[in-house]
Amino acid sequence: MTLTKPFNLIRELTILFGICLAAKLIANIMPFTMPANILGMVLLFVLLCTKVIKTEHINATSDFLLHNMAFFFIASGISLMDSFVLIKDTVLIFLFICLFSTVVTFAATAYTVTLVTHIQKCLLAKKAIKTLKEAHHD
Amino acid sequence: MIDLINSSPAFTAFFCFFICAFTYEIGLWLNRKTGLIILNPQLIAIGLTILILILLNINYTVFDGGANLMNVFLTPITVVLAVPIYKQIHLLKANALPIIIGAGVGSITSMVTVYLLCKAFHINEMVYTSLLAKSVTTPIGIEVSKQLGGIPSITIIAIIITGIFGGMAAPWLCRFFKIKNAIARGVAIGTCSHAMGTASAIEMGEAEGAMSGLAIGIAGLITIILALLIPW
Repeated sequence: MTLTKPFNLIRELTILFGICLAAKLIANIMPFTMPANILGMVLLFVLLCTKVIKTEHINATSDFLLHNMAFFFIASGISLMDSFVLIKDTVLIFLFICLFSTVVTFAATAYTVTLVTHIQKCLLAKKAIKTLKEAHHD
Repeated sequence: MIDLINSSPAFTAFFCFFICAFTYEIGLWLNRKTGLIILNPQLIAIGLTILILILLNINYTVFDGGANLMNVFLTPITVVLAVPIYKQIHLLKANALPIIIGAGVGSITSMVTVYLLCKAFHINEMVYTSLLAKSVTTPIGIEVSKQLGGIPSITIIAIIITGIFGGMAAPWLCRFFKIKNAIARGVAIGTCSHAMGTASAIEMGEAEGAMSGLAIGIAGLITIILALLIPW
């Protein structure tokens, strides 16, 4: 019984790496640059929607990767060692740009969602009133 | 030990993985003990690892060669982002229009604000192309940055700073801008501060967390498309 688990993990990794492999191949033959990462994400999404792959087939691996996402980016962050010189003189401005644009982005997104939801509701209500009135006239 | 690092690739790989994992564990422990969001495990691990490399006089190219073990996982990590989106597909279907328009407007706002601020402060081109994708999830940010001719490591740092700030400020931002709708809250948090902000959206509620997770993927895709469309 305990032996079945590692075999499932191998199968999960085979599915996932297979998708990555396919994505890299597709990215290579694409006429314009499209990151293989994103192609793979779309590919997996399509496979899940068409039920070719079920979430159970990759559950353990996807949970592991999603929960430990931050860890795998540490190595990329260490490249700061070499590139810090580029922002050394502008650290405070750099920070300000990051923080300020985050606040603006938050507000723009939140208000847009609220507005679109509101418009959708109004249109639906109008439609409902219209059909009610028509039903009443008949 | 330095001789071994220079001569044995396997030793270098073990060394790099061990240093990253060990410093990350220290970061997690410190974060748990103090409960301070500013003591972000990822940030602590990056800082401590750089310190160790400098003290041992190991240069970055040597480290990068050994770090392949971790870098290879960057593709599968983005690919599995499809799983939470698929799991929350009912929420996506019910609110598709507000979510997509919201994340789209947010992504455009983020890029335009960064562009204008960089112009205003006369930031050089290499740095601002690296900053444009700072609100999206790291694997997408790296790709967009490379595509626009930026420096991925600057993008990563900007993404981490944005994420930490977004996570810390999310409850305050919701109160300040008087955002009560759970979907609006979630999409806004995910669009402006990706996975790190999503952690704090999950604390606000299930709907906020789900929407934030969804927004990471959508904002990422929209940013990719924008980067393809804009001839910089």
